[in-house]
Amino acid sequence: MQYSKEFLLDVHRKLLTLRQMEQKLLDTYAQGRVPGHIHSGIGQEASFVGILSTKKDGDYWKPTHRMASLPFIMGMDEDAYWGELLAKKTGNSGGRGGMLHIGDFKTGYLGMSATLGNDAGVCVGAAMAIDYDHKDNVVYMFMGDGTSSRGPVYEAINMAKIWNLPVLFICENNGFAISTPVGYSCPVDDALGGRASGWELPTRVVDGTDVLAVYEAAKELTDGMRAGGGPAILECKSYRWRGHFEGDQCPYRDAAVTKQWMENKDCIKLFEAKLMAEGILTQADIDTFKDSFDKQMDAAIARAEAAPEMAPDEIYDYLYAE
Amino acid sequence: MKVTYAKAVGDALKEEMRRDDRVLMIGEDIAEFGNIFGITRGMLEEFGPKRVRNTPITENAIVSCGVGAAIAGLRPCFELMYSDFTMCAFTEIFHLMPKWRYMHGPDFKLPMVIRCASGAANGAAAEHSNPVESLFMHAAGLTIITPSCAYDAKGLLKSAIRSNNPVLFCEPKQLYQVKQEIDEEVYNSDYTIPIGVADVKREGSDVTLVAVGLMVPRALEAAEKLAAEGISVEVIDPRTLAPLDTETIYNSIRKTHRAAIVEESNKTGGIGAELSAKFTEDLYYELDCPTCRIAALDVPMPYNIPMEHYSIPSVDRIAQSIRDMLK
Repeated sequence: MQYSKEFLLDVHRKLLTLRQMEQKLLDTYAQGRVPGHIHSGIGQEASFVGILSTKKDGDYWKPTHRMASLPFIMGMDEDAYWGELLAKKTGNSGGRGGMLHIGDFKTGYLGMSATLGNDAGVCVGAAMAIDYDHKDNVVYMFMGDGTSSRGPVYEAINMAKIWNLPVLFICENNGFAISTPVGYSCPVDDALGGRASGWELPTRVVDGTDVLAVYEAAKELTDGMRAGGGPAILECKSYRWRGHFEGDQCPYRDAAVTKQWMENKDCIKLFEAKLMAEGILTQADIDTFKDSFDKQMDAAIARAEAAPEMAPDEIYDYLYAE
Repeated sequence: MKVTYAKAVGDALKEEMRRDDRVLMIGEDIAEFGNIFGITRGMLEEFGPKRVRNTPITENAIVSCGVGAAIAGLRPCFELMYSDFTMCAFTEIFHLMPKWRYMHGPDFKLPMVIRCASGAANGAAAEHSNPVESLFMHAAGLTIITPSCAYDAKGLLKSAIRSNNPVLFCEPKQLYQVKQEIDEEVYNSDYTIPIGVADVKREGSDVTLVAVGLMVPRALEAAEKLAAEGISVEVIDPRTLAPLDTETIYNSIRKTHRAAIVEESNKTGGIGAELSAKFTEDLYYELDCPTCRIAALDVPMPYNIPMEHYSIPSVDRIAQSIRDMLK
C-alpha cells in the first residue's frame, strides 16, 4: 500500500503520543499522584493506532483496560482526561468512574465495563443503531487475550453475525491475562481468531508491533464491514511489557523474553527507523515533539491537581438522567 | 371494557412503537411466535423485522445490546422471557445498566427497558418461579417497576419506555390473564403513570399493608375479609420498588401505626426485609407493634403444585398474619 507523508507522520504522532502518555502515566503513578491502578499498555501502541487510524466520523469504539491513554489520541480534551484520572470534578464523570472509564462520548467512545467482556454486546447494540439508521459506520470492540475466554464475548459475536452487524472484534493478544499465559488458557494458536473460527467471519491475525500491517488488515476488514459485510475479527499479537498493574514484579515469566521484546520489537522504534530511512522524519523532530508534549502534559496535570474534587453532596449526581 | 394484564402490556408496547420509531424490541421467541404468553403477537407484522427481532438464547447479549443501543440513540424495550433469566445477565443488569451513566458521565443516557415475566405459576418449579426485585434493589441507579393490574401495567410501561433511565420491568405471570374493568376512553387516552409513585389501593385505619405485584389482589381480598371482622386494612402498592415512594407509605403508617409487607419472593433478604428495616429506622416511635413480613417460604420453589401454592402467601395466610399482628 502507498502512503502519503502526511498519513505516515500522523501515525507516528499518534504512536508517540500514546508512548509519551503511557510513560507520563507510569511516572505520575510512581510519584503516588494517581489514586487508582494503572494497567500500562506501553509497547502495544501500534495495534491501537493502526486500527483506529481507519476510524471515521460516526464510528464507535470501546477500549479495553490496557492503554489508558487511548482516549487522548481520539480527541479527548486533556483537562477532562487528567481530571478523571486524578478523580477531579473536571473529569468526564467528575471522578466517579476512574481510569477504566475515561473517554469523551463525542469521539464515539461507548464506555467500557471493567467486568471484561460483558461489554462486547454493548458494541453489538451500538452497531444495531448504525444498521437501524442505514449508516456505513462501524464499531471497534477491543479486548485482551484474557477476555477472549469469556462467554459473553461469544454471545455478542453470534448476535453480530446472525444480524450482520458491523462490529470489529479485536483481540489485543499480549500473551498474558494477569499472570496466566495465553498458551495455558487457550488451546489453539490464535486466542480469538482461532476460537471464533466457527463463525467464518473475515479474520486477520497480524503482528501487533507492525503499525502498517495492522492498519492494512483493519482497513481491509472495515472496508468490508462498511460495504455491508457484517462483523469481522482482527487479532494483534504483541507482548505486555509491564506487569498487569504497576507494582506487579512478574515472577511468573522470563524477564529475558520481556527484554528481547522491548529491544527488538519496539513498534515505535521500528516505525521510526523506517520513516528516518525514507527521509521523512528526523531525530530532532522526535525530540521536539516529546519535549513539547511533555510540557503540555505537565501543565495539564498541574491544572488537574489544582482542580476541585466532588463534594459529598454531589455523590448521587449522574445516577439518574432527566 | 374488560382488559387483561397481558393485553395492556401488549397495547403499551404497540402504542409506544407507533408513537416513536426509535423504540424497538428484541427477545427470545417474540417475533413469529409472539412471545410465550402471546404478548407481542402481531407486532412483527406491524413493525417489521428490524424492530421486532428474535434472539438466540443469549441473555448476556440481549441486555448488553440494549445498553449499547440506548447509548447510540435508540430506545430499546427488550425482553428476557422469565424473570429467572435475569440471573443469566446479572452482570449486565447490576453493573452495566445502572452504573454506565454514573461511571462515564452525563453525556451518557440509557433510555432502555428490560421486561420479564415474573414469579411462580403452574408448577414451573425452582428455576422458573423467582421474582427478582429484591435482588436488584441492591443496584443503585436501576429503576424497578412491578405493576399489579392492567391499568397500571399499561401506564407504567409507557412511562418506562419514555424514561431516559434504565428500567427493569417485572410482570407477574399469574396476573397476565386477570381482567380489569377500565373505562374505554381512559384506556385509549395515551395515559401514563409516573414512575416512583405508590398507589393506595384501599384505604384503611388499623394496619398498613404494602403489597407487591401478584400479592396486591390477594392483599385486597384479605382486606375485604378482615373488614367483615372489623379490621380496617390500608393496602398500598408501591408499583415502583426503586425509586421507592416512601412518602405515601410513611404517611399511611403514621396514620395506622402498624405495618406489614406481603411479597411473592423469599422472605430472607426480600423486599419486606428492606422495608421493615426502613420502617424501624425512620418510624420507630410511630409503630405500635413489630412490622410483619409475609413472604414466600425460604425454599427453592417445589414442582408439586399444592406445595407451590403453600409456599407463596395466600389470601388466608395474609389475613391470618394480619390477625396475629393485632392480637
